[in-house]
Amino acid sequence: MASGDMLGPAVSGLLAFQTEMATIGNNIANVNTPGYSRERVQLTPSPPQYTGAGYIGTGVQVSSVQRIYDQYLAGQLNSATSANSQLQNYSQLATQVGNLLADPQAGLSPNLQSFFNAVQGVASDPSSTSARQVMLSQGQSLVSNFQYLDSQLTSLGSGVNTQITNSVNQINSLATSIAKLNGQITQLQGTAGGQQPNTLLDQRDELINQLSQQVAVTTVPQTDGSVNVFIGNGQSLVMGSTAIPLSVVPNTYDATRSEVGYTVGGVTTDISNQITGGTLGGALAFRDQVLNPSENALGQVAIGLAATFNAQSRLGMDQNGNINQNFFNTIDQSSPQVLPSSTNTGSPPATIGATVTDVSALTTSDYRLDRTATGYTLTRLSDNTVTNLTNFPGAPQTVDGVTLSLASGTIAVGDSFMIEPTRTAAANIGLAISSTSQIAAAAPISTAVATNASGVPTNQGTGAISAGSVSNTTNLPLSGAITLTYDASTQQFNVTGGPGGTLAYNPATDSGGKQFSFPTYGGATFTISGVPANGDSFVISNNANAVSDNRNALALAGLATQSTLANGTASYNGAYSDLIANVGTQTQNANTSSTAQQAVLNQVTQQVNSVSGVNLDQEAASLVQYQQAYQAAAQMISTSSSLFQTLIAAVGGH
Amino acid sequence: MRISTSQIYNQSVNAMLTEQNQLNQTELQLSSGKSILTPSDNPAGSAQIVNLNQSISTTNQYQTNASAANSRLSLEGSTLTSVTNLLQSLRSLAVEANNSTQSSSSRADIAQQVSQGLQQLVALANTQDANGEYIFAGYQGKSQPFITDPSGNVIYNGGQNSRYLQIGPTTQVAFGDPGTAVFEAVPNGNGTFATAASASNTGSGVIDTGSTTGTFVPDTYTIAFSQATSTSPITYSVTGAASGVVASGTYTSGNNISFNGAQVSISGTPANGDTFTVAPSQDQSVFATLQNLVNSLNSNAATPSDQAQINTGITRSISEIDQALNTINQTSAKVGARLNTVTDQQNTNQSYSNGLQQTLSGVQDLNYASAISQLSQEQLALQAAQEAFAKVQGMSLFNYLR
Repeated sequence: MASGDMLGPAVSGLLAFQTEMATIGNNIANVNTPGYSRERVQLTPSPPQYTGAGYIGTGVQVSSVQRIYDQYLAGQLNSATSANSQLQNYSQLATQVGNLLADPQAGLSPNLQSFFNAVQGVASDPSSTSARQVMLSQGQSLVSNFQYLDSQLTSLGSGVNTQITNSVNQINSLATSIAKLNGQITQLQGTAGGQQPNTLLDQRDELINQLSQQVAVTTVPQTDGSVNVFIGNGQSLVMGSTAIPLSVVPNTYDATRSEVGYTVGGVTTDISNQITGGTLGGALAFRDQVLNPSENALGQVAIGLAATFNAQSRLGMDQNGNINQNFFNTIDQSSPQVLPSSTNTGSPPATIGATVTDVSALTTSDYRLDRTATGYTLTRLSDNTVTNLTNFPGAPQTVDGVTLSLASGTIAVGDSFMIEPTRTAAANIGLAISSTSQIAAAAPISTAVATNASGVPTNQGTGAISAGSVSNTTNLPLSGAITLTYDASTQQFNVTGGPGGTLAYNPATDSGGKQFSFPTYGGATFTISGVPANGDSFVISNNANAVSDNRNALALAGLATQSTLANGTASYNGAYSDLIANVGTQTQNANTSSTAQQAVLNQVTQQVNSVSGVNLDQEAASLVQYQQAYQAAAQMISTSSSLFQTLIAAVGGH
Repeated sequence: MRISTSQIYNQSVNAMLTEQNQLNQTELQLSSGKSILTPSDNPAGSAQIVNLNQSISTTNQYQTNASAANSRLSLEGSTLTSVTNLLQSLRSLAVEANNSTQSSSSRADIAQQVSQGLQQLVALANTQDANGEYIFAGYQGKSQPFITDPSGNVIYNGGQNSRYLQIGPTTQVAFGDPGTAVFEAVPNGNGTFATAASASNTGSGVIDTGSTTGTFVPDTYTIAFSQATSTSPITYSVTGAASGVVASGTYTSGNNISFNGAQVSISGTPANGDTFTVAPSQDQSVFATLQNLVNSLNSNAATPSDQAQINTGITRSISEIDQALNTINQTSAKVGARLNTVTDQQNTNQSYSNGLQQTLSGVQDLNYASAISQLSQEQLALQAAQEAFAKVQGMSLFNYLR
């Protein structure tokens, strides 16, 4: 056997073990590289040499350097990553809303309480300028509080817009990089005779994982080594070496809201509602599920408070003797907004008016008005309940306390409008009055028994009249006093002034108290009791100079605990606490899911690491193993050399 | 399972981060004393806190209102006591003035005192509270309710209603009484009917204020006396404007004359043609009563009939002061009942508020014992994680391959 035959396998061993050790070195060097998959050298015996005695091995050869990688686990890692970053982003954003609304100082509830305490203060001391000043100041601070909370929510909305822009930019940049890598991988795989460019594959997997942090993706590997990446309902983001960029587009109805746009054949469509997962999915879900409903709910409280408080305030009389005055501005009329779609074709463009006509029926939902081929439909977006508006636009239509009417223009088939009854109410609420004297603490009418010029009652009987109240402002202030004079023979009161006529009163049955009312004169309601004598009279007149009257202030203060909202099931504070509970529940769910998802992500990461991660101990052992093998191969060369020397010496020329 | 080296580090770091996070949460809870730091910690609890705080705040406001009502009603009560004392002293003066030993000049002195008393009474009726509000003015609390006009009459300018304060969820209490009810709506005479002597009487007949026997039939009755000659018996007849003649007979001084539920007694010697009237009571202000008394006291008693007029007037005034005292006592009793209501409601509010505070504390306050034990548990877990990391990070095969 020739000594060259010994050297061949030894040298192949040396080379193979060098490759092994170089790979181990590479593994060790990349122990902390994100996305790096450990590599293993695939050794195969060299083709044997045929001799008469049979096949003799010729050493070892390096067939390939493979990365240890599991396609299935990589997919799982990506989906766990996108789910986790969606929930984390969602829960971070929602926690901000919850903390804002439930803040013991900045939240609405403490301000609402202080305001109504101040109203009670006016009710207990209506003539006090300082009590009135406190009510006015607390009203101002309540209004500011609504505006502050809304501005915070609006700025969270701007933050969501920024997140969408950032995410879209990052997605586009990652998509471009992935497309570029796809091109390189396809090319290198071709030129390397099918050998895989492991580093590029790792890089691409890492980029796809980074993409998963932004948005949920699905990947489909191609035979040429490239990977196609899809988002949403199958919109392709990367096709081979081409990236199709996403764009940020304004919402069709509301240009201040950013949406995700996808362009195919020159047509850009809004695909926001198809996007799931990742930071982007989290931001979009937060906006739909927490931010907008919160702003609506806050607006509902604002409109409910303003409308009901104003209604009572209008029934009262201020210190200047004026009635029919609002305390808050009329956001129930001015605040509901109707946003036409930018794609509407009606000409001239239709303007649709919306006002709140029944605050108790008001919901926190937005609505979409569509003109279909057969008519008009209104969709409540919170639960997609569709109402057919049969008489629209001929007559105003009221759904859930909101009255819609066509103000001008034409609605074409296919046109649609977004109706947001409460969205901007909290931003727009304000005070209608500026002076303490304008607080309507008194009732507009007062009742009295007839008196002489000195103020001494002239009635003979025991008849008495209650202080009375009003329920509307028709014919108020009274043009003159209304006098009720008792006629004992006919057992009725003759009414002079006001509506006139007679009021039957039988002392035998009615002396415990009988209630009367003049619907067309402020709805004045009063109770007469006792036994009036013939000719006794009562006078209902304008409540002049009544600085100490608190009847209306009492009614205003009573609103605090009345269930005026949500079909008579919630007080202002109740509706607000519902909002806190809703945001809290959604955040809690997100937190719980986020914790669970984090565990899943850790689990999958562990599995991926378990397969692909570098273990230094393992590498150390391999290093020792291949070092020894290398030494053995080197020893083979040394042995071969000494054999050769021995042979030379033995046959040397002596 | 195969573990990668980075995994060993990551796991230890994750474990430490988780423990630190929990530790931080517990620390925040301990430093704030609250178990709910953000609504997502306990959504239902957070909503409950908002509602409980509102109830507590509302109840506190009821308490504020109740103490305002308390001080205002106490002021009213003490004012009414002063009014009662004043009226009682004026009544004593009137009784004293009715004594036959009084002369015109001594009556004039008494008239002077009553007149001053009247002014004091007007001042009391115009009492203002600490906020400058007139307490007997009804809704017109910032205008002086009782004004003396140039001719000396006291006019009431206030309202007939008084406001109510909310002192509990369903409890309202009247904050005061209008001047009408306290000082103006006082029935004159004896409360059922009023007696009077005609100004043109020439005899010395004096009529008392009378009393009721059974049910008084409201009508204006005239008791007319006639005497044919100076020696013939004096006879009387009682004629109601609507009822006709209801009684007649021979007059005996001091005897009761009864008709239609009324019983009066006339003493002295009425002259032929003298008349007395008995009319249903009408409301008369206490000020008018006192003014009438002053007028009676200031009258000149030149003749027996003048003296009779004075005595009739004083007698009636005493009865009317009694009626005023009666009205004021009734008002005082109402004020006392309201004060009781306020006190009861204050107690109710207090215990309700205590209950709410307790519930609130149960929902939002931290259980320190369990939080502290949790804190030490979490500290222990963090220490364990840190120690595990310190141990594991030293373990490498490379350490042994030297």
